[in-house]
Order: sequence, then structure tokens, then C-alpha cells
Amino acid sequence: MAKRVLVVDDANFMRMVVKDSLEPKGFEIVGEATNGAEAVTKFGELKPDLVTMDITMKVKDGVEAAKEILTADPNARIVMVTALGQEKMLMDCIAMGVRDFVVKPFTSERILSAVQKALV
Amino acid sequence: MMKFNARHVNPFVEAAMKVVNQITGIEVRRGHLSYKPKVEPSFGVSIIIGIYGFLTGQIVYSLDGKLADRLVDKLLEGKSPQQRKIMFLDSLGEVANMITGNATALLNQGNDSVLNITTPAIAAGDNLSVHLIPKPALVLGLITMYGPIEVSIAVEEKETLQETESFDAMLSEA
Repeated sequence: MAKRVLVVDDANFMRMVVKDSLEPKGFEIVGEATNGAEAVTKFGELKPDLVTMDITMKVKDGVEAAKEILTADPNARIVMVTALGQEKMLMDCIAMGVRDFVVKPFTSERILSAVQKALV
Repeated sequence: MMKFNARHVNPFVEAAMKVVNQITGIEVRRGHLSYKPKVEPSFGVSIIIGIYGFLTGQIVYSLDGKLADRLVDKLLEGKSPQQRKIMFLDSLGEVANMITGNATALLNQGNDSVLNITTPAIAAGDNLSVHLIPKPALVLGLITMYGPIEVSIAVEEKETLQETESFDAMLSEA
């Protein structure tokens, strides 16, 4: 059965890039969210196997949303996909329970590998 | 008086070269560096991103429509004209976001703090005037075979801000 993914990014373009990387490899994109608040709501509704999460978004950022999702479901699998590749931010997210951190721009192979490892 | 630091420039050059080349295949070279007493974008498409943390201010990317078209053509290769229209500004904003994000990682190397950026604000069109924070900027020219990208870096370090704030407080107390 295809693994179900929720894609969170405020940029339509980036959601398309993530979808184009994952769908041909058999993943099902079950939903999209454009900010952290929407991500938390959709995670509760859709119960995806994995979330790809941008950080810089209006309304609620990705770090805050990941924290809320992991508090509600400590087994949630979240991969941060962000342009902000700063060491402290990366360490804070991993300590919080995020599975991996993909820095934009990325190749299809990089995001695919991060998602596959997060689902093991 | 706002203090500039040339250390703030190189990360943007490095990040722009890496990001633009990786996602579009277009080569970027470094051009002139100059000073402007306030940020005034030179071309028709402007993308504005705020920075906050130990550095505070704005980065403004400015490019002409022809280069914007080329970048979007490369980014959205194989997509329909309708998708291209929908994602035109969005994809340019994301390029600026990636350059700024990668530059902040370089600026923040060895620092035990986080430098945040805002989501991009994009303005495009002829006869458009953009009102920005009236702060001086270092203006970096980047050269591509399809036209230039102008990067205005109007940021100051936190210590400078604190010094200014305490100086202002001393003045008002006096």
C-alpha cells in the first residue's frame, strides 16, 4: 500500500517540486497545507504516514507546527524541508523528534532518501 | 549611523551562485559592489525578504522581466502555460527564499543562535514604485547571461542596534 504524505509549504512551487519527487516513486500525496496551523489541522484529519514541513510560513511556522503535531502524536514522522540550514535549528528540530532535515534546494534523490529513511 | 560589514556580502554571492545554478542551470558571476543611501530597486521585479536575529533588516532582490521569464522557464520546464502563470511570482519568491536561507546559514556558521527570515513579498510590473524601509544598503550586482540581479543588503548587527537604542535613550533622558 502506498505511503500517505502531507506536504506543507507556503509556496505552491515547492509543494509541486516535493510532489513531483515523491509521486512517481509510489507515494500518495493525501493533502497539502500552506501554513503551520493548516498543517496541524490536516494532520489530525488525514493521519498521514509522513509530513514534509517547511519552516518559514505565515500564521504559524513549521517548527511550532511540528512541535504541536509531535506533542499530539509522538510517533508522527516529520521531515523538515527548508531553506534555513542552520546548525542550531537543525539540532533543535532533531531533539524535538523530527526525523530529518532537507535543505533547499534539494535533488529528488535527497528528499526521496530522507522520506524513505523516516518511514523505516 | 548604520554600520556595514563586508562579511555580510560574500554569503549572498556564494548562496546565489549555488542556488541559481543548481535549480536552473544558469551561471551567476559576481559584479560590482556599491553603496546606496536608501534601497531603491533598479528593475521591474522586486522580492523583499526580512531578516531578524543577531542581524536585522531587509534583503531586496531586483531583476528585469526578461531574466525573471528565463528563470521561471527553467524552474517550470514541462509545466502548462496555466501552471506557469499561477506559479510565476511564487517560484521567483522561492528562489529568493533559498538564496537568503542559504546565505543565513553561512552568516550563522559557528554561532549558537538562529537567524530567521520572513516569507518573501514580491512586487512586479511596469511603473511600479516600491516603498521600503529608508535604510542605506550595500548593493551587490550579480551577472547572468540573461541579465543582472541586484541584491540590496540593508542589515545591521544587533550590537549596533542596541548601541543606537541606548544612545537614543540617553538623548531622550537628557
